[in-house]
Parts: sequence; structure tokens; C-alpha cells
Amino acid sequence: MSGTQDRLVYMANQIARNFAVQGEAVAIAATARHILDFWDPRMREAILAGDRAGLSDIAAGAIARLQASP
Amino acid sequence: MGYEPQADFGTPEVRADTQVTLTIDGRSVTVPAGTSVMRAATTSGGAIPSLCATDSLAAFGSCRMCLVEVEGMRGTPASCTTPVAQDMIVRTQTPRLEKLRRGVMELYISDHPLDCLTCSANNDCELQDTAAEVGLRDVRYGYAGAHHLGQQPDLSNPYFLFAPDKCIVCSRCVRACDEVQGTLALSVEGRGFASKISAGQRADDFLSSDCVSCGACVQACPTSALMEKSVKEHGKPERAVITTCAYCGVGCTFRAEMRGEQLVRMVPWKDGKANRGHSCVKGRFAWGYAHHQDRITTPMIRESVDQPWREVSWDEALAFTAGRISAIKAQHGARALGGITSSRCTNEETFLVQKLVRAGFGSNNVDTCARVCHSPTGYGLKTTFGTSAGTQDFDSVMDADVILVIGANPTDAHPVFASRMKRRLRQGAQLIVIDPRRIDLVRSPHVQAAHHLPLQPGTNVAVLTAMAHVIVTEGLADEDFVRDRCDWDEYQDWARFVSDPQHSPEFLEAVTKVPAAELRAAARLYATGGNGAIYYGLGVTEHSQGSSTVMAIANLAMATGNIGRPGVGVNPLRGQNNVQGACDMGSFPHELSGYRHISDGATRTMFEQDWGVALDPEPGLRIPNMLDAAVDGTFKAIYIQGEDILQSDPNTHHVAAGLAAMDCVIVHDLFLNETANYAHVFLPGSTFLEKNGTFTNAERRIQPVRKVMEPANGLEDWQVTQALANALGLGWAYTHPAQILDEIARLTPTFAGVSWDRLEREASLQWPVNDQFPDGAPVMYVDGFVRGKGHFVVTDYVPTDEKTGPRYPLLLTTGRILSQYNVGAQTRRTANTAWHPEDVLEIHPLDAENRGLKEGDWARLASRTGETSLRVSVTDRVAPGVVYTTFHHPETQANVVTTDYSDWATNCPEYKVTAVQVTPSNGPSDWQEDYAGLTARSRRIAAEPAE
Amino acid sequence: MTAVRISDDALALACGADALAAAFEAAGCAVERVSSWGMHWLEPLVEIDGMGFGPATPEDVDAILSGKSAKAIGPIAAHPFIAGQQRLTFARAGRTRALSLEDYERTGGWAGLERARRIGPEHVLDEVARSGLRGRGGAGFPAGVKWRTVAQAPGARKFIVCNADEGDSGTFADRMLMEGDPLQLIEGMAIAAHAVGAAQGYIYIRSEYPHAIRKLRDALKLCADIIAPFTIDVRVGAGAYVCGEETSLLNSLEGKRGEVRAKPPLPALQGLFGCPTVVNNVLTLAAVPHILAEGGAQDYEARGTGRSKGTMPIQLAGNIRHGGLYETSFGITLNQLIFEIGGGTASGRPVKAVQVGGPLGAYLHPGQFDIPFDYEAYAAADALIGHGGITVFDDTADMAALARFAMEFCAAESCGKCTPCRIGSVRGQEIIDRILSGGRQADAVELLPQMHNARLAQRSQAEEVQLLEELCAVMKDASLCALGGFTPYPVVSALRHWPADFGLGAR
Repeated sequence: MSGTQDRLVYMANQIARNFAVQGEAVAIAATARHILDFWDPRMREAILAGDRAGLSDIAAGAIARLQASP
Repeated sequence: MGYEPQADFGTPEVRADTQVTLTIDGRSVTVPAGTSVMRAATTSGGAIPSLCATDSLAAFGSCRMCLVEVEGMRGTPASCTTPVAQDMIVRTQTPRLEKLRRGVMELYISDHPLDCLTCSANNDCELQDTAAEVGLRDVRYGYAGAHHLGQQPDLSNPYFLFAPDKCIVCSRCVRACDEVQGTLALSVEGRGFASKISAGQRADDFLSSDCVSCGACVQACPTSALMEKSVKEHGKPERAVITTCAYCGVGCTFRAEMRGEQLVRMVPWKDGKANRGHSCVKGRFAWGYAHHQDRITTPMIRESVDQPWREVSWDEALAFTAGRISAIKAQHGARALGGITSSRCTNEETFLVQKLVRAGFGSNNVDTCARVCHSPTGYGLKTTFGTSAGTQDFDSVMDADVILVIGANPTDAHPVFASRMKRRLRQGAQLIVIDPRRIDLVRSPHVQAAHHLPLQPGTNVAVLTAMAHVIVTEGLADEDFVRDRCDWDEYQDWARFVSDPQHSPEFLEAVTKVPAAELRAAARLYATGGNGAIYYGLGVTEHSQGSSTVMAIANLAMATGNIGRPGVGVNPLRGQNNVQGACDMGSFPHELSGYRHISDGATRTMFEQDWGVALDPEPGLRIPNMLDAAVDGTFKAIYIQGEDILQSDPNTHHVAAGLAAMDCVIVHDLFLNETANYAHVFLPGSTFLEKNGTFTNAERRIQPVRKVMEPANGLEDWQVTQALANALGLGWAYTHPAQILDEIARLTPTFAGVSWDRLEREASLQWPVNDQFPDGAPVMYVDGFVRGKGHFVVTDYVPTDEKTGPRYPLLLTTGRILSQYNVGAQTRRTANTAWHPEDVLEIHPLDAENRGLKEGDWARLASRTGETSLRVSVTDRVAPGVVYTTFHHPETQANVVTTDYSDWATNCPEYKVTAVQVTPSNGPSDWQEDYAGLTARSRRIAAEPAE
Repeated sequence: MTAVRISDDALALACGADALAAAFEAAGCAVERVSSWGMHWLEPLVEIDGMGFGPATPEDVDAILSGKSAKAIGPIAAHPFIAGQQRLTFARAGRTRALSLEDYERTGGWAGLERARRIGPEHVLDEVARSGLRGRGGAGFPAGVKWRTVAQAPGARKFIVCNADEGDSGTFADRMLMEGDPLQLIEGMAIAAHAVGAAQGYIYIRSEYPHAIRKLRDALKLCADIIAPFTIDVRVGAGAYVCGEETSLLNSLEGKRGEVRAKPPLPALQGLFGCPTVVNNVLTLAAVPHILAEGGAQDYEARGTGRSKGTMPIQLAGNIRHGGLYETSFGITLNQLIFEIGGGTASGRPVKAVQVGGPLGAYLHPGQFDIPFDYEAYAAADALIGHGGITVFDDTADMAALARFAMEFCAAESCGKCTPCRIGSVRGQEIIDRILSGGRQADAVELLPQMHNARLAQRSQAEEVQLLEELCAVMKDASLCALGGFTPYPVVSALRHWPADFGLGAR
């Protein structure tokens, strides 16, 4: 992994992947909640501001949800 | 406390429902049925002379000093082996007994050295005391007969010696090794008069034998036949202070036996509830680092890390540090500052460091080394049970019927608890081991695992899911318990998930490499074998699915009803002495003490009012994120107390880059550790012997740490943190850690009832201690879970992204060894190096042969992250395809090889799975040689103060 | 074809029984190898149609077959040595083949076990208690009490352990029984197992008994179905006398160092592997089938004297003319055994002393030869019945040397666990040497000026004797097991009855 942005995308995807078994809707909410609970604001800002191409569907959904109500 | 040996009641305490009343020397004595006459006499104030009896060991009856007369019984039975009976009438002192005891003592002394005055046990010797008690005045046999005198002592062990001519062959050492330690290294060789204590085979000495140097034999010896070399050197101690060991998470309590400021020896405290009078080689003997020449006792600063260090006064060092921090804060804001608390420091010190970061620096960028060990435990157990802690006390293992050990190696990493566990296993409890390596517990004297599941590293969740599959599909779940105590709907979801044929042991065998039949048998045993207790360690947490594994374990315990009583539970074995405490104290960036989220307004307000400052409501950075942010330029300064992240954290190159990018790295430690190579400020630390405070062990037991000597640097660590806080203008005025503990209690509901005074009185408390649990909670969830209903979490197996391939075909897993501790900062500076002078790579014979490697060869260990070199040990303890090493030595730096992969929920590094290649090598790698040069340059200290 | 019976007992073999058997076979006879009648001075003993010839050699074959042998002793069963006995345990001695199920059944074998199974464990326990059978290993503890303790002890696993570590000097009854009638021992163990609820038995036998080991193993194969589901394993000791002590034996069986355990806990409650265990001697267990046969208990109880009931297989050995196995009811005297039955010493010299009960038994003086053979009467005379071994010495015996030997034996065989035995036995030898040399001067250590409290004056012979007596008291009262505890018996008895041998005046 290189660069903070790559690492943040990887982390978000990893969280999402572990919640995925609970179904997409629940997983998106849980991933968003997890990022809110455990990520420093600059990390959240960075992933919101950065390229989201590498995010999985669930992770992208979670980030979109955070964007809507940070 | 003055120096007096702890009372010895001769035989172990007996617990019984019925009491028996008897008469001993005319006094009426009431004791539990089954108690020995000896113990009944001693507890009622009339000790009976004895030599082979000690209350840590089962009665043996060999010395024949403790004979008594019992009305209605023939002869003179030994009081140690004779149980009391109702209305028994015992006489312990009659002319006949006097004569017999003197006669036996006369025999002992006819074969014993006579120069007591120059003996290291002089005035601390049970043989001497007993000879005095029985009034021996004449040895009529003379001294010309057969004897054992003049034999050479065995000096091989670095810490104690064995002088066979002082041995009275009471077998206390042999029995201590058998019963207390469970290693069975010692035996009696020969018979009759030729009987001789022997370590291992005839050619062995103590060092070459199976002896693990736990010290139990030395403690048990009634003479100076087995004696600490430190007592020989310094003399008999004159005072003893009870304190708590600063090594692993077992939390053994010791008597630090002192002469003036000189620590003479550490002896396990018999009343310690964590260790019950036992110890290991580290706590018992490896305290010499406290006086090691490498110890830094003067503060040092430098403008940049390429300069030599400059020794300065505390005032100058603190002013320099405060100046840098303030400047950075002014330029980059509070969130550019952070700190790391230490699991080796006290609760009070840890609490102050996080308070300094939150209230002084103004950020929540505080983390602790639990990030890299047990953070998944916190997450997983809080999610499922509601509390971030193990459920049991250590005593609980004595009620377990089936013990499941997963990802832990207790005989090396938690040796004192392992001895308890082995005692229970010898009593007949059954053992299941889930570990890629054949750890010692799998098969050792009188212990054999019923099932060893040697799984492929990284497949914990798959194995546990397969076990759950067996339990659910074979109808072995305790549904009554689940209905009563857990969320039934969640359970059903979980049960449906695990019942899927894709989660069967047979289906998953390809992934886990665990034979399905063996896994099925293990699952059945755990579910149906009586009280099932799970013990786990970093082999569970240090994975990309560490948190999932913890939750999978919790699921298994709930599904089988193994929660809420002695003998069951989910028990994380904590790596460092105060991991539990550091976590409890609010060391994580997202939560305040007592595991309350920083975003919780009510909690934050309580702290803000108490501390008189506003707190940042957003979570801060975790350690790896701090390092990322440092490289990105948004994180500039860090205060690291008692941690060596360069050596202990994964991907050394990345850690080094992060540290190098910072403007102010403050290392507060005993030694110039590896992290200090990148530091601008070095604040000398104090050892656990030099400070007051408390540690909290793996069973949530809060125990006092007491200052037995003045700090070499003049200040306890909490005082240094306070001085730094005050240099930043915070105006703290604590005069004793008791006040900090009061503040913790005031702000933390689970600690509400804890105070220094109470710990002085009660010796230890197991949190929660509050109105609901006024005396603490040895076993949790007796009446229900903290979060209400137990929460089943579906844990899907997600393979790690760290994959083997043609270039890196082997899986590396790391761990620790008995004689060394963590990064070795302490143990490497003791004689413990006699057992483990360097890290070695364990490799299976097949893999070794394929690579042309033989025992002791140098090998290059390379991963996608980095490479290092070390010697190999060829052993089938590891499976083909798996290699193993320890991370104790900076010369090896095993973490050069480990990766950035981490637990999905907590970022706990995936130390346990790294794809590597191993090839023959000529010696240390280029990197190792470069690093040695860097270290030498970085550790330069200017000859004269610059002023 | 003439049928010839010759024993394959180890003693007969040592005297040349195999060569003799071969000679008879060469002479065209059918030779049947049977157990020994127990008349040692006549081995190898040849039996043809009930008539005996012995001790026979191959050279005697022709004379025997032609009816002209001078070795003829007439009908064996009528021989006074045999006719005077009351053989219950050794009823088959000389009469059957050890490994013949047919012989065994024909002579009443399995009747006890069958009846025991019929009447049930509770009645078995009652009958063993009623018979008055006591442990034949030496301690004389009532077998019925021990069995009932095991039967009532809680625990799913229980064991029957047969102590066949026969190591006393002058004893051979266990060996003869195991070589000659192994099925009877097995039947006894099976009855015990049935009574107490044990599924597994062990026979702990000394390695010096290879023939017995082989016979037992073969016998167990023969009767496995009969005693099933009970099973028995034969375990071979490694040569330690102290492993005949029951707790040491259990440690050895468990694979541990043969070291004595403190009692309590009694083996009956926590014995082998911590489980309730019957530990009985070979003769005790072998007496059981007779007791359990119809009317056996009553018959057994009716014999003997006082609290010593039934019969005892007494072993006559040492310097005796007619040595061998003599089973008779309790109450017989040494006078009868040595002179009337044993025919006095083999050397023809006067009897000086008799040691009863093995190397730890007291030396009895001819003045005591009228004491009835009875546990309590012997105890009252500071003597032991032990395992029933009787070793005769003539007037050339040096009783001080024998006393010293007792200490030496104890030192050699001590497990080393308890102090009185471990150190006391060594000091005991040293004191006896000093008594014989008339006392002692202060030694080099005592004479050092640094030794403030040591006595400098000479210690007289009388003082050394007193020290020996005190040492014996310490060993007797303070030792952990009978090895150290009984060693004083031969020492003190020798000192008491033969002071002159120690260079002392009459005491």
C-alpha cells in the first residue's frame, strides 16, 4: 500500500467486507457508523474528498451516507 | 513491613462444608474436615516442628519431625499426613516425642555442614530453626561416618545455585517442580543414603535440564541447598515490600526483599490472588535491568536526530519540550500533537498521559500499545458481552472441565497461569489446542491435549465457524441458556449462518488444513465436556480478522452456555502487565476511561468539568494513522511513554519514516530504545521498583505497585508527566498516585469503589467495583450481560490479503519465548539471555531441506515489506509451510518483515501472518548492518554539557 | 507306558528336574510336569503311581523304573511332612499341572468364583469377613475389612492389585503358588474384583521370578473368558525390595519412582492412580477360592487360634534338614516346626537362632520356640510372623554380624524418602562397628577448637549400645514404612539375646 489515501480506501473496504455478511443495507449503515466512531476527522475528510473509485459498493455507500450527514 | 518469612501452615488449606473440633495440647481447635493435624495446630498458634512440609505442597510425610501422639491411635503418626477427626485428642509435645524428634534431628546433623554462621541461609534456615526447636545439643554419631559433604555446587543457573551437601533430601524442590510449576524437571536420583536431587538426566546440570528457572524449588528449599545467588552476595534481607510484577498480564504479586536500597530478591507472595505464591523466571529473577549500565538517568535533548544527545537538567529538558510543543500547536493546531501510553506503566501514569494529551495538547490523538495486541479484545467483547474484558478470575480454571486454548502459548508467555492450568489438566480436565504450532501444552509431562488443531495461520474464523457448525447442527447448543440470556432472534440468524454446509468442517478443511473429524471431536468435547473455558492470546487478535475471531469465540461460549459461573468463560491472556489497565484508563483515541465514547456528551462534560477544559468530541488518530499523518505532514509531535514502537510495531520502515517526519519526538523510557534513535527529547523513566501506583491484570484485578527504592532519575514516571504538563501551564498538583486513583474513581463508574486505602487493606480488587458490585466481580455476567442480552454477531470468514505465492511461499508467524519479554528492553539486560541470546527462525525439516538449511545456519527472511537475517532451528513443531520467530532482539528486528495489514475493526497489526521466503544467508543483512550504524550514531551522548 | 510326574517348579529345575525328565523320556516314559509338593530336600522328586523317589538324578532312572531305588520314600501323600499338613491354599501342590484347565476344574477350580457370582458382592464381603482371613503379606490386616472399604469407597474405577513382589529371605510360597497353581490366584482376584466392583487387576511380580511370570501370563490367556469382563495384567518389578511395600508398589505400578507414600490416604480409598484399590498378597488372594466355596468360610474360620484364623503356608528355610512348604493352621510352635517337622539343622549343629518373617523379623532364641504361631502372640514377643518365612541358624552364626546385616540390608533397600531409614540405617552399621571395637574416641571434627559444644571425652561401649537402642527406637517409631520401622527387630533381638556376640557381658 502506498499513500494515505490508498490506505484509507483499503481500510474502508476491509470494514465493509466484514459487515457484508449482514446484507447491504445493514452493512452500509454499520460501516458508516464504524468510520464515524473510530476515524479521526482528517481521515474522514480525506476519504470524502479523495478519489472513491477504489471503494467497494458497501464502502462507497457508507462514504456517501457520511457525506450526506457527517 | 519488616522482614519475616510468610507464615507457613505446613499443608494446604482445605475447603469443606463440615467443621471438625478437636483438642490439641489442651486447646480446642475447630477446622474444616480434612485439614491436617499439623495445619490445625499451626493455625491455632502451636506450630509443630517440620522440615518436609510446606503449605504450597501436598503433605509428604518424609522428614518425620512432626510426629504427634493421638489418644486411641497406635504409635506416633506424622501430623502432616494425619487428618483431623472429631473429638480427637492430640499432644504435640511429650517426652517421647521430644526424644524422637531430637533423634531424627541428630541424624540430619550427622550429615550436614556445621559452619552455619557463614552460610547464606544463616538465620533464614528451617533446618537451623528446627534444630534449635528440638534442643539438639550433641551429635553422638560424630562426624567421621558416611556423609555427602564436599560435593561441588551446581552454579550453572545464572540466578540460583544448588549445593548438594546442604540438601536434606526433603523433596520439597522436586514436589514444587511437579505440583506448583508442573515442569517435572527435578527428580530424586538413586535411593536410600545415595538419594540425590537431580535436574534431568545424569549428565545434566540445572541450566541444561528442562528446568524453566521459575524459582519454585528455591522458594521451597528449607536450607540453602537451593539458594538465590543474590542472597549469597548481599546477605539476608531486612525488610519486605509487597508489590506487583511488571512483566506479563498475569500480575503476580511479590515480596521485594530488601537490604536498604538494595533489592536482594523477589519472592512470590503467597497471598497474591493472581499467582497464589508462584512465579516465573522473569518476575522472580529478571529484575537486574533496573541497575543496568545502559539505564539513562539524566534528561537529554537535541535539536535534530543527527546530533549527539546533550545531557541537561530537568528544567531545561521540560522547557525545551514545552517550547516545541507549544510552537507546533500554534503553527499546526492541537491535532498535530499526540501521545502513546504504556501498558507497562501504572494506571495512574497511563491516565495522566492521556489526560495530558486530551486536556493539555488538546487532541484525542492518544493510543496505547494495546493497539498492537489486544485492541480486538476490547472491540469484540464489548460488542458481544458489553464489557471490554475477560470474564473470569484465574482461580476459575480450577473448575474447568474442558480448556480450549486458541492462539496462546501460556507456558512461554503466561507461565504462572500456565502452571495453574497444567495443575487442573493433571487433575483430569481435557485440553483442546488450536494453534499452528505444536506448543508445549500439546504434549508435556502429564499433560496431553485431547485435540490439537494445527490450523493454517489466518484461518481462525473459519475454524471457529466450523466448530459452531458442529455444535449447532448436532444439537449441542445450550438453547435454554441462549433463550434466557441472549437475543434469541440474533442467535437464530447466527445459527442459520453457521449451519450452512459451506461452514462444515469438511468443506472448510481445504482452507483451514484441520482434519474435519478432529475438529468435530473438539467441538463436541467443548460443547458437552462440562465446564468449558476458552483462553486466548495474540494468535487470535493479531490478524486481519482479530475482532471477528474474538466475537466468534464469544458466540461459541454463549451458544454452549459457558458464561457466568466459575470454570467457564472467555479469557484473553494479556501480553503486558497493564494492558487491561491501559485500556481501562481511556488510552484509546475514541474513548475515555471505562470505555465510554468521546462523542458521548454526558461523559465528556463530566471530564470537562473535572479538568476545567473543553475536550475535542471527535476520535483521534490510532498509532498507524499517526504515522501516516506524520508522513503526510499533519502530525508533528508525539510523547511516547514506555513503548518502543520502532521495534514492536509492524513494518519498521514505515514506523521509521513516520518518526523521522515529526518535529518533536519525546521518548520517556528507561533506556535509549530503538524509537529513541528518532527522538529529540529523552526523559528518563523509573522502573516499577521505583514508583507507587496500580496495575490491572488480565483478570481485571487492580493491584498496588509499591516503591521499594528511590527512582534513579529522581522522579517517578507520573511525576515526569506532571512536570511536563506543568511546563505547558496545566498546574497539576498531585502528590501521590492515590490522588490520581481517586480522580479515576470519580470519573469512571466501573472504578467508583476503588481507592489506594482500600487496596492497602484488601490487596486487590477486580473491577467493576461500585454500588452494584461493592466487592468487585471475580466472575462476570453471573446474573446477565452488561449490555442486557448477549449479542450474537455473525462472523464471516474473510481471508487475509496477505497471500503466499511463488516468491513468498511460506507463512511467518511470530510470538514470544519464556525467558524474554516483548521487545526485550528489560530481559535482554538480564542474565535471561543465557536461555535466549538471539531470535531464531523455526522451520520444518522439509522446508529446511528444500532450502539446504541446517540447524544453526544463517537464513535470509524476506517478505514484500523487508528482510532480515537470523539463524534457523529445524523442528517439526511448526507445520510444513509455516515458519516462526520471536521479536525480542533489535538485532533481528522481525518487524522489518511484517506488513501493514491489520484488523479490520481496530487496526491491530496482522503480525501472525506474513508471506515470506527463507533462503540461505552469510550473516546479517545490509539493512541490519546499516541499522546498527544508525543506532551507534544516534546514541552518541556529548561528552560535556554544551553550556 | 509308565506315567512319571516331575515338578517344573523353579527349585526342582535348579536341582536338575529337566535333565531328569529327559532321562525318563529317553527311557520310554510319559513324563508329566506338575507342581511341587514342597519338600525341597527331596527335589527333584519323582512320582510314579503315587509313590515317591527323591532327590533323583538321571543315574537313578533305571533303578526307579525297576523298583529297586534306594531313593524311594513310599507313598508321597502319606509322607509325614505332607500328612501332617492342612493344605487348603496348597491343596493342589504336587497334584496338578499348573496350566491345565482340566486339572484345575477337576480339583474344584472355579467353584468359588461361580458361587461368588451367584451370591452377589454383599455376601462375598460377608463371607470373607466371617472367614477371619487376614493379609498374608505381613501386616495381618483383615481382608474383609479392606475389601468392604474398597467396595464402599466412591469412585467409578477400582483396582485389584496382587502383591507378588516376594522378597523376604527364606520365603518362596508366593513363587510356588504362582508357578504351581496360577489359576487359583487368578480366581481369587476375580472374586475380589466381583466383590468390590473392579474391572482391572494387576499382578506386580518381581523380575527374579521368570518362571512364575511366564506361567501367570499363560494362565491368564487360558482363562480370560472365564474371568471376563475382569482383566488382569502382569507387571514386572525392577528389583527393589521396598516395592513390596504396598504404597511403593503402587507408585512403581504407576511408572513412578518406587517410593513409599504416606498413609493416610489408605490405598483402599486412594490407591492405584488415586482410585480405590485392594492390595493383597498372593497367599491372601489365593486363599479366597477355598473360602468362597460352599462352607469354605466356616471351615476356614474354624481353624487357627485366637484372632489368627485359617491356615498359614509356612516356609522352612535356612540351615534346616527338611526345608520346604508347610501349610498348617495357626498355633503351631517353632519347636514343632524346626525339630519335629524340619528335623533340626542341616549341618547337624545345635540351633542358635531362628529369624521369622524375613530380613526384618526378630531373631528368636530357642527359649522362645514355644510361642504359638499367631500374629498377636508374636507381636507380644516383639517378633513378626510376616510372610511366614522361617530361617534357621546354627551355633556358628555371629549375631552381631547378622544385626549389622539388618542395618546394611535396610540401607541397601531404603527408598530414601524418610530420614530415620535413609540416614539411620547407615549410622546403625557404624554404631555396631564401634560397639564391636569397644566404643569411640572423639573424631577429628569434634576435636577442632572451633567445635565448642562437641564432647571430647571418649564414648564408652555402653554409651554406644544406648545410642544404638535409641536409634532403633527412632527407626521403629518414626520411620514411614515397615522397612525402616521393622529393621530394629532383628537388631534389638540379637542384642538382647546374644550380647556376647557384641562383645558385651550378659544384659
